[in-house]
Amino acid sequence: MSAVSSILVVGAGQAAAVAVATLRDQGFDGRITVVGDEAHAPYERPPLSKAVLAAVEADEPGISVKEEDFFSARDIDLRLGTEVVSLDPASAQATLSDGSTVTYDRCLLATGGAARRLPGLTPDASQVHYLRTLDEARRLRNALRQARSAVIIGAGFLGLEIASTARSMGVEVSVVETASRPLGRVVPEAFSSWLQARVAASGATLYLGQSITDLQLPADGVRVSLSDGNVLQADLVVVAVGLVPSTALAQSAGLQLNAANGGIEVDALCRSSDARIYAAGDCTSQHHEGHGALRLESWQNANEQARIAACAMLGVDAPPAAFPWFWTDQFDCNIQMLGLPRAGLHYVLRGGIDPADASPKFIMLGLQGSAPCHALAVNAGGDLRALRPVLERGLSIDAAGFSDTSTTMKAYAKALLASAAG
Amino acid sequence: MANWIKIAQVGQVDEDESLAIEVDGKQLALHHTEGEYFVTDNVCTHQYALLSDGYIEDGCVECPLHQAQFDLRTGKAMCAPATVDIQTYQVKTEGEDILVEL
Repeated sequence: MSAVSSILVVGAGQAAAVAVATLRDQGFDGRITVVGDEAHAPYERPPLSKAVLAAVEADEPGISVKEEDFFSARDIDLRLGTEVVSLDPASAQATLSDGSTVTYDRCLLATGGAARRLPGLTPDASQVHYLRTLDEARRLRNALRQARSAVIIGAGFLGLEIASTARSMGVEVSVVETASRPLGRVVPEAFSSWLQARVAASGATLYLGQSITDLQLPADGVRVSLSDGNVLQADLVVVAVGLVPSTALAQSAGLQLNAANGGIEVDALCRSSDARIYAAGDCTSQHHEGHGALRLESWQNANEQARIAACAMLGVDAPPAAFPWFWTDQFDCNIQMLGLPRAGLHYVLRGGIDPADASPKFIMLGLQGSAPCHALAVNAGGDLRALRPVLERGLSIDAAGFSDTSTTMKAYAKALLASAAG
Repeated sequence: MANWIKIAQVGQVDEDESLAIEVDGKQLALHHTEGEYFVTDNVCTHQYALLSDGYIEDGCVECPLHQAQFDLRTGKAMCAPATVDIQTYQVKTEGEDILVEL
């Protein structure tokens, strides 16, 4: 598409880095401008709640998405610590916080999101923490190192990862969750029970089904009152109650947002409602067959949408998005999910789900009829990988065969694929 | 001077399988695919995980933790999240023995 000679990327996270790398790999030699409000070049966010949080400052792990000289070497104009303050789709021009303007033939919104704020809580109080950015992770790390105790609000993936890391740093941890079980929206009950036991075994205390009736910030810490009357006192509080997609720019530019999840509506090629504007990553809402519009917050989704958007901007066909995959590392377990959960799945188990097992290894497979749709693997990534083509193709499985650990998962999956190929 | 060390027997590792080996305090992995043997470092360069627990496809081993892939022949990190290559080692078979050069 010869008409495209300039591309503006708003945001400088995972999706932005993958998008611009894809553009250059596809041979695009026009102008690329990347504008990010953080001071850091694109970095991987998954380690923020784990290795970065647990690290000592002098020995923080490298988390850059691209090597240091990537942007200059690939002739990408990376403007950090700068915001796009307005976007005018009619004139295809953005105005930046430094007063400059950037015109574009195509624009990619990779604006991500920010940690959802807890209403009524002084956000800049020294005892109050959120975790989305590297700066926030460093601030929390310094505080955890001084702290004896922490209250974490939210038992989602992020809250539990922070709880796990804080425990490994010797901090007393309480986790408060409004739902009756952890990860209740994405895993079956048996998995929640196992995880709950795992959390308890680490020495952290879970307060489930609790709303917060009062939250005070005395000079020496926090006082969190729960609906059951418990009052938790700690040195600091971490609020991990989800992500708010950063869509102010998209909204002011008149782009269509999804009313339910707040994301920027994009089609399968990551095109927004404006022909020249695309979006990728945590800020988007996209239709998924059988699930409707979803705003997926994952490392993989950021990578995949960025790659697809970059190709689409150039008019190049891209391989379709990979099967949804997600991981979390917590409480000495690597937990992976393949596919997306949905209501009414029947889960079958392979391996032992004994909470007392110090190094568990199991897979739970969610079936609709006999077709697997969703898999959860604990310390069984290799097995899950072998199973992936079975899920991708929706091949029928027999529960007994799947659960039979006398056959390796690789052999089992291979046999299924062979018989399907028939 | 070449230092060949016996690490396994032919037939000990099935096709598309890997075996964890410790030699001279080094954690290595012996991989068997497409009729060939390969020896690489066993620990992923991204985060601690054993590649011998991973998945072999198209001449690459995929880490069981975060799906980073490494070329078995060259050790090159083929995809995110890994950015650092793994080391590979020379392998040969002598009769029923598989040897690695350290």
